[in-house]
Amino acid sequence: MTAKLSSLERSERRLGIALLAPAFALLAGVVLYPIYNLIRMSFSENKLTEPWLAKPWIGFENYAKAMGDERLWEATWHTLLYVIVTVPGAVALGLGLALLANQPFRVKWPVRLGLLLPWALPLVFAGLIFRWFFEYQQGLVNNALIWIGLSPVNWLTQEGPAFFAICVAIIWKTSSFAALVLLAGLQTIPKSLYEAAEVDGASKWQQFWEITLPMLKPAIIVALIFRTITAIQTFDIPKAMTDGGPGNATETLAMYIHKTTIDSLDFGYGSTLAVLMFIASAILTSIYLRHTRRDPSAGRH
Amino acid sequence: MKKRTFLSLSASLALGLAMSVSTASISVAQTTLRIFTGGQQRPDVMRKIADDYEKRTPGVKIEVEVGGATSEQQQQYLNTVLASKDSALDVILIDVIRPAQWAAAQWAEPLDAFLGADKDKIMARYLPAYREANIVGGKVIALPYFADAQFLYYRKDLLEKHGVQPPKTWAELQAGAEKVMKAEGNPNLSGFQTAGAPIEGTVCTYLVPMWGAGGALTNAQGQLALNTAEARRPFQLWADMKAANVTPPNLAEIPTDRIRQNFQAGNLLFAMNWGYVWQRTQNDADSQIKDKVGVVPLPGFTADKAATCIGGWQLAISAFSKNKKAAFDFAMYLSSPEVAKAQAIAASHLPVFPEVYTDPDVLKANPWFAQALPVVQTARSRPVSPAYPRVSEVIRTNMNAFLAGAKTADAALADMTRDLSQVIR
Repeated sequence: MTAKLSSLERSERRLGIALLAPAFALLAGVVLYPIYNLIRMSFSENKLTEPWLAKPWIGFENYAKAMGDERLWEATWHTLLYVIVTVPGAVALGLGLALLANQPFRVKWPVRLGLLLPWALPLVFAGLIFRWFFEYQQGLVNNALIWIGLSPVNWLTQEGPAFFAICVAIIWKTSSFAALVLLAGLQTIPKSLYEAAEVDGASKWQQFWEITLPMLKPAIIVALIFRTITAIQTFDIPKAMTDGGPGNATETLAMYIHKTTIDSLDFGYGSTLAVLMFIASAILTSIYLRHTRRDPSAGRH
Repeated sequence: MKKRTFLSLSASLALGLAMSVSTASISVAQTTLRIFTGGQQRPDVMRKIADDYEKRTPGVKIEVEVGGATSEQQQQYLNTVLASKDSALDVILIDVIRPAQWAAAQWAEPLDAFLGADKDKIMARYLPAYREANIVGGKVIALPYFADAQFLYYRKDLLEKHGVQPPKTWAELQAGAEKVMKAEGNPNLSGFQTAGAPIEGTVCTYLVPMWGAGGALTNAQGQLALNTAEARRPFQLWADMKAANVTPPNLAEIPTDRIRQNFQAGNLLFAMNWGYVWQRTQNDADSQIKDKVGVVPLPGFTADKAATCIGGWQLAISAFSKNKKAAFDFAMYLSSPEVAKAQAIAASHLPVFPEVYTDPDVLKANPWFAQALPVVQTARSRPVSPAYPRVSEVIRTNMNAFLAGAKTADAALADMTRDLSQVIR
């Protein structure tokens, strides 16, 4: 009896492995191998523009260079600023949008469409649209400023205004994703809680602080994590709006890697930068993950 | 009735069979070549030339793929195509600054074997600057397609109205612009524009005044020489123009073709731009300045010492093409005096053959070509280096930061020296 079962189990396990194998093979091919190759390349001098160098192994030379590379630290700092500003910004705006979309509207689709459209738009599209908004001569923003009697601003060619304009674009583009996650969270909160609060005489504001926010916490954390991961990789929108300008004042890590690898064809140093960025984002994500794992038990007390 | 149906059926069958046979025989002989060109290099004119070629060369079909508007947008795309050894492109239009890099990366098929014994004779037909630009390490890397240089475009009508002569020096240009702008009082009229966005053209915005001042990026030994007074002159020049409001406050976001658009819309007095602008201002339906345009060589700090950047586009055969011979034949056709003349008339593209400049039909379409030949002959090359993309990035990024006011001249020059010294030793 037991022998029979275990043979069944064994064949099931074999079937399971056989069914998983293609997925594993695919992952190994498109994820593990490229990562292995990236790490290997990061220890070599691999310049496509100078093929006669023959890609020698140079150990930690690229990493040593990176540590003293001012532009890398600047790009890291810019990326961090984008994370600090646009992650809470997008989640806060997303929360507002989600609360709005959760209202009992008679016609729901215009709100839903408004929520989905920025999310469905390709990033570089959003970047180009906002580039036109903030353009000096023909931009809508400067038009509006002139219309109310102010002088036009050089949005995209000054460090502060360019950073501001890019943040506005990123928050607009990414808040709808946060809103979708939060809207799903909102809809899982039982109506009975609000009814009970109503009976007890709690104001709308109290209901929001005491019921909505605590019940929404897991969804908010999911939104924050996803937003942080994409914010670390910020590339498309600043690429389309300023291409890192003026100078390198709005350049992010991902843009610096792209410029090194694709424009200058320095695959060795570009790989080193990519490995460093990978390590940084892995650390940040693991901090978040640890926090969420601890969180539900803390919430139950 | 029955018989007729059968007849018509068999007839249509036979016809169908014949048709399928004939299409099969065509598809055997058919070679499809794909040529890559830029959005700013008049793909419409290229299409017309390709149509002519298809007509005279049965069995060859040409597809024209249009890339980005700027040189580095095109190169970014090509980097990924060529690094992956993609065979989709056969003939590729490349900027005059690229052959050294393309040779080093082995992306371009050397053309010596195709040119054969006639190599020297064929190459001798071109203007010397283009012959030299396309021969790297003794090998022919690409064939010249059209020449280019930067010129000063001006509004003939406005200069005449206010009694200003076309400037020969930067000081004259600034004074003339200030005079006309003040008298016109049009808030949309900008005095002078050159490329300021972080793009390839902005490299020339730095190099042209430096050359004009007698400087160079490297000294006679090929070492970086940015510690000279001449290396500072461009910063001073553009700072003065900005302070006098001759250049617009958003110069740092202006790429090459935006200058042309502003000029063509009637909002610009002096434009530093390439040869293609003339034809657009004269023939575009939306041009506000038809017959109101003059072209002269760029000014210098002194009238006798002006400089300009050499430009122009070359035809490279992809090393990964599957139809290299057919691609070479097409490139040879494109790089002929006949096509040079057609391009000159249709797109005001400057010819790479000296004799085409004096062709009466060409001069009728482009009266300023008479003055253009000496400019093209003396125009200077941007630094030749396989690492040119990096050189370009350092110069344009720092120039852009300076024009935007994000870096002082000292900081921009110091950063430029630091980063270039890693590439040019």
